Amino acid sequence: MEFLTSLDFSPVWQYRWPLFWGLVETLWMAALAFAIAVPAGLGLALGRIYGGWLVNLPIMAFVDLMRFTPLLVQAVWIHFALPAVTGMNFAATQSAMIALSLHVTAYVCDVMRAGIIAIPKGQGEAARALGMKRRAVFFHVTMPQVWPLVLPPLGNVAVASFKLTTILGILAVDDLMKVTNRISTLTFRTFEFYTTAAVIYLLVGLLLTFAVHRVERRFGASRLERSAARADRASLAAARGAVAAGPRTVEPPPDR
Amino acid sequence: MDFQFDIILRYLPDLLQGVRMTLIAFFTALAIGLPIGMTLCVLRVGKSRGLGRAAAVYTTVFRTIPEVVLIFWMFYCLPPLVGGTVSGLWAGSLALGLISGAFLAEIFRGGVQSIPRGQWEAATALALPRVTIWRRIIVPQAARLAIPPFINHLTELMKGTTLLATIGVADLALKSYVLGAQTFRYFEFLTAIALLYFIIIFPVARFAEYVERRLAVATR
Repeated sequence: MEFLTSLDFSPVWQYRWPLFWGLVETLWMAALAFAIAVPAGLGLALGRIYGGWLVNLPIMAFVDLMRFTPLLVQAVWIHFALPAVTGMNFAATQSAMIALSLHVTAYVCDVMRAGIIAIPKGQGEAARALGMKRRAVFFHVTMPQVWPLVLPPLGNVAVASFKLTTILGILAVDDLMKVTNRISTLTFRTFEFYTTAAVIYLLVGLLLTFAVHRVERRFGASRLERSAARADRASLAAARGAVAAGPRTVEPPPDR
Repeated sequence: MDFQFDIILRYLPDLLQGVRMTLIAFFTALAIGLPIGMTLCVLRVGKSRGLGRAAAVYTTVFRTIPEVVLIFWMFYCLPPLVGGTVSGLWAGSLALGLISGAFLAEIFRGGVQSIPRGQWEAATALALPRVTIWRRIIVPQAARLAIPPFINHLTELMKGTTLLATIGVADLALKSYVLGAQTFRYFEFLTAIALLYFIIIFPVARFAEYVERRLAVATR
């Protein structure tokens, strides 16, 4: 109780502008990484699907390496270990951005690949049979159906990249977490500043999640109704229902 | 440019200590997260609307807040609040465990809610006690769907333990970073641990995919 009454949040207000710019830096990094990751991830997904093994294998290796090692290790590796190979030194922000973009790209690649694969092959074949060029098939038949499908997972990736920026504070990046860190050691008001930062992160995170849901509902569902992928989803749901209804009557899988 | 990977062998005992810290943090967080996840799942599926709502708020909050932020908060703000000292390892593991609990709750709930109402109703009609319904009917079926995402979550948690390095817990990530700084051999140490994490996490994630495919075949 004594501790709670000794709290003083006025320094937080005093340092509102550094905190604000920290938040701007955080959001800016997340947005940039996401903006880079979407086209890059789409490109990699296309390579994964349509490329031969020579294209396929390196992409697979890249995606797995990015997904199955921690971002913190990647960021530190790029900032401290990579210069030993390339001889180039990056500024902390550059290293952080490279790490975050690559990390998010890997996730986007997976999302895109799943989305493109989900579109029935017959769609492309029918369009080809009608004499459409490959490019046209991709842009006018496949992708319009892919977007509504990948929108929800892409939204999750966007929120995730906001959350991931906090990790980049391990390099000398002036994001909100790092700024909080600095000010709290300066003012000795650790509790007040860290609590404020936690609340800001929570609020912004909730706001982002909410916005993503709105976008999903606006663009995800309505277009979905017209797309053939919906039928696929329905059959998937039916299959799930069947799964849940009678797992015990099903025979064990044949051993291969 | 010369790489001396034998330097890693020389500092192997140090690195192994880091591995020990990482594993302690991992299992502590899991030990905290599992019961929280189960409890929240039961509350959300259960009859009480108030408790269900409270559980929903918990999951939303702890799924939204970034791990690093909560780790810092636990490290700097928990000790004065409870009036004692909290070590970095405990503060960090607690933060990871609380977050893990929220994610696990969602994973378990996904499994439980995929079970048709009829199963509940039939079990209730047979006058089975609630505990028996959960233990004998719901959990065995729900587990099939929940196991692959559960294993995936374990890999996420393993990656999350590296974040304890931000509050100075000498886990594998921090150890190798410090050793790199001491010896000026960043490349060797950082590459070694990046590969080590990959070697630990990759097979587990692949195993999850395998189980998922396997279960999908089994239940088709």
